[in-house]
Amino acid sequence: MWDKKHIIAIKELERRHIEAIFNLARNFKELSQREIKKTPALRGKTVVNLFFENSTRTRTSFELAAKRLSADVLNFSASMSSLSKGESIVDTIKNLESYHPDIIVARVGFSASMRTFMRYTDASIINAGDGANEHPTQALLDMFTVEEAKGTLENLKVLIVGDIRHSRVARSNIFGFQKFSSSIRVCGPTTLVPYEFHKIGVEVFDDLDKALDDVDVIIMLRIQRERQESSFFPSLREYVERFSLTPGRIKKAKKGCLIMHPGPINWDIEISSALKERLHPFILHQAGNGLAVRMAVLYLAGTRRKEL
Amino acid sequence: MKILIKGAKVVNNDDIFDADILINNGKIIKVEKSISGRADKEIDACGKHVFPGFIDIHTHLRTPGREDEEDFLSGSKAAAHGGFTAVCCMPNTTPCVDNEGLIRWVIEESKKIGLIDIYPIGAITKNRKGEELSEYGAMAKAGCLALSDDGDSVENGSLLRKALEYAKMFNLLIISHCEDKSLSAGGFIRESFISSKYGMRPVSDISESAIVYRDIALARYVDARLHLAHISSKKSIEIISEAKKTFSKLSCETAPHYFTLTVEDIEKSKFHGNFRVNPPLGEKHDLEAIRKALKEGTIDCIATDHAPHSTAEKELPFEQAPPGLIGLETAFSLTYTHLVENGIMDLKNIAEKLSFNPARILGLKERGRVEEGALADITIVDLEKEWVVETKKLFSKSNNTPFMGKRLKGTVEYTIHRGRIVYKNV
Amino acid sequence: MEGFKDKTRVLSPQDIKRVLYRLAHQILEKTPDSNKLALLGIQTRGVFLARRIKAIIKEIEGTDVPLGILDITLYRDDLTAIGPSPLVKETKINFSIDNKVVVLIDDVLFTGRTIRAALDEIMDFGRPQKVELVVLVDRGYRELPIRADFVGKNIPTAQTEHVEVRLEEIDKKDEVVILEKSNK
Repeated sequence: MWDKKHIIAIKELERRHIEAIFNLARNFKELSQREIKKTPALRGKTVVNLFFENSTRTRTSFELAAKRLSADVLNFSASMSSLSKGESIVDTIKNLESYHPDIIVARVGFSASMRTFMRYTDASIINAGDGANEHPTQALLDMFTVEEAKGTLENLKVLIVGDIRHSRVARSNIFGFQKFSSSIRVCGPTTLVPYEFHKIGVEVFDDLDKALDDVDVIIMLRIQRERQESSFFPSLREYVERFSLTPGRIKKAKKGCLIMHPGPINWDIEISSALKERLHPFILHQAGNGLAVRMAVLYLAGTRRKEL
Repeated sequence: MKILIKGAKVVNNDDIFDADILINNGKIIKVEKSISGRADKEIDACGKHVFPGFIDIHTHLRTPGREDEEDFLSGSKAAAHGGFTAVCCMPNTTPCVDNEGLIRWVIEESKKIGLIDIYPIGAITKNRKGEELSEYGAMAKAGCLALSDDGDSVENGSLLRKALEYAKMFNLLIISHCEDKSLSAGGFIRESFISSKYGMRPVSDISESAIVYRDIALARYVDARLHLAHISSKKSIEIISEAKKTFSKLSCETAPHYFTLTVEDIEKSKFHGNFRVNPPLGEKHDLEAIRKALKEGTIDCIATDHAPHSTAEKELPFEQAPPGLIGLETAFSLTYTHLVENGIMDLKNIAEKLSFNPARILGLKERGRVEEGALADITIVDLEKEWVVETKKLFSKSNNTPFMGKRLKGTVEYTIHRGRIVYKNV
Repeated sequence: MEGFKDKTRVLSPQDIKRVLYRLAHQILEKTPDSNKLALLGIQTRGVFLARRIKAIIKEIEGTDVPLGILDITLYRDDLTAIGPSPLVKETKINFSIDNKVVVLIDDVLFTGRTIRAALDEIMDFGRPQKVELVVLVDRGYRELPIRADFVGKNIPTAQTEHVEVRLEEIDKKDEVVILEKSNK
């Protein structure tokens, strides 16, 4: 039975919640193949996309998901730089409340800030990314894709490579896969792995060759140039030398290993362009799965039982 | 006016005893059992404890500049409610109190309000920019007792050295806010498993302890008095404890939130802005080290670091909320509830940390003890009563406290300043 | 069912078998050209009934009538009502329903809301020439103007009672029973 008003963190979901989302996502995938790609499940509900950070892909994915559920969609984008002392975040939510939104899909640059929003609105909140904390729907679609490809999420060896410190995708995926007793490794420059991170239950590597041994799934994270500017590593050349996924290196992983990337990919930095063919089918899958997972999440938030 | 306090348990830093106290003309005339004779006012202190008036060596009153958050009147009332008869207010105001004119202004304004003493702390550097020294001589003449750039550390070691040397001439105390901004840059929560779990930019404890080490080294080198503000970490305490063995001019303070809360409480509060403070709340081992240091005397004072902020600002996401908590009105109750009730300290320690030591360090004469001849600055408390921290009970204009809604033991019943009752619990 | 106990059995396994044969004949009688037919079973027991009817039609006419599965959860009108969130099951219609005579099959017809949802969903799949409704049991108490074309058995009930269709494929036996509230 679905008992959550908000979907803001994988850390706060149990395995049964994730399984319920996947069950629905499968049905929504079927729906997307029909002539009429719509169900009236959220008819008359208002979904607000409140994006304080730029993101075309995630936002359009949520927008289409809401529309296929027959909801009314409002898009609010405010660049973070226009926020002076954050007053606009709270003011914005307060102003939105006069439209009585049913669901707010929010993306903000501040970690663990979804709780702040909850104080000012009655709507269900869906986290589309809060700082470096979590990006639940990305992890859900990643796990859904892996389950489709491998048939299971149990006892897999999952490796996440890159800037772990600043990655909400990494955190959400770690919490998600852990609920299915998969083992997780993280690999990146020591400067980009957070303090005492092994306490979260992962194995930490700084050598990609060693980390790749026998893995089933690799999630490559995007590297951002600002990290180089803040001296987390001296040059892209050094980063690529040690952490880029090349055809040579990939041989150390299990045969049939799945390579994923939340996108957009910096070819020949995170992944060698020689591996494009191996990745291509999954890039398409991930987009379709992302839509299905987001429809599932919106459906659950929008059709939750009203409290007595 | 003559006031007679009857049946009290008097608590000084070195003694607890039963006595009556007779006050006249702003001074304590007699402290002995069964004082006879009449007075204009008689206070029945039976079952209550009488402390020397508390002195807060570290407060922010936001005036001039942010009178919406606190002004001298509300600040004085809040202080009196907390049992404080004197507070030192920090100069990180707008404009910054870095000249004799503003020093004089603060002193005059506090006299006009006439509730408690407000002692202005002057800035170490002009406008707290960390570039040029402000005029210590002029400020000392105007009544300034101590200097601090609190809110910031003096980053340039050479400049801090000169500040320590120059301040010596006027017997001004330098109060140092220890923080290496290059290490703490962008951070807002203690570096810990929690900061890693939630992807929050961290502040390592060494950003405090590295500067504690440096500042002590400089003060020792020029043989100047140094007081360290808001100590929050075990590493800092280890350095201070070691240094005190051979350097007697060193003193330091901590604030109640560092011996009652940890970074785990921030997670439990779901990252409410009322838990954001600088230096950030530490981990369990820091809290335990601070309690031990208070007990052993490594930490000399409990100072509130009372830092009012508007509700609108504190309700922003954790990362955006300005750091700081109010504390004047909860300091005594927190100290009693969390340190004395569980046997870490005794009542005499409270008198020492909240009154005797601050008076001594600041050079405030005739205060810090309840004894004949001292100024009649007295705080009467009831250790049996409990109270719940609620907005309507607070006198501060702001209510950014992480203890909102909490039940605390130990209430201030009377606060007396120069023989006048400035707070009475009704 | 929680809180209910069996009161009366109204259809035995033999009865069900006879009824299904009769319904199959009725469907064919109305639409002699069996190539125009398409069967849609409503999850869950409607699907098993539809499969049995498909097999019977094959037996009688030799025709393989296309069979689709319909889950109507996403079209319900009571998604936010108090009650546990229903599990959404599979919907699979691998053929075009345009211009077909769609025979919608369900186990029990009660308020009519399930059929209303099914009709909305069918219309999103295409434009059938006609939709006919076949139910094993009609127990009355309609809340919408919906009627079945062919009914296995009309069963009068009290509103507080329940009608349960049990099928071997899922319940290990074939029978239709009326349930009443138990006093436990």
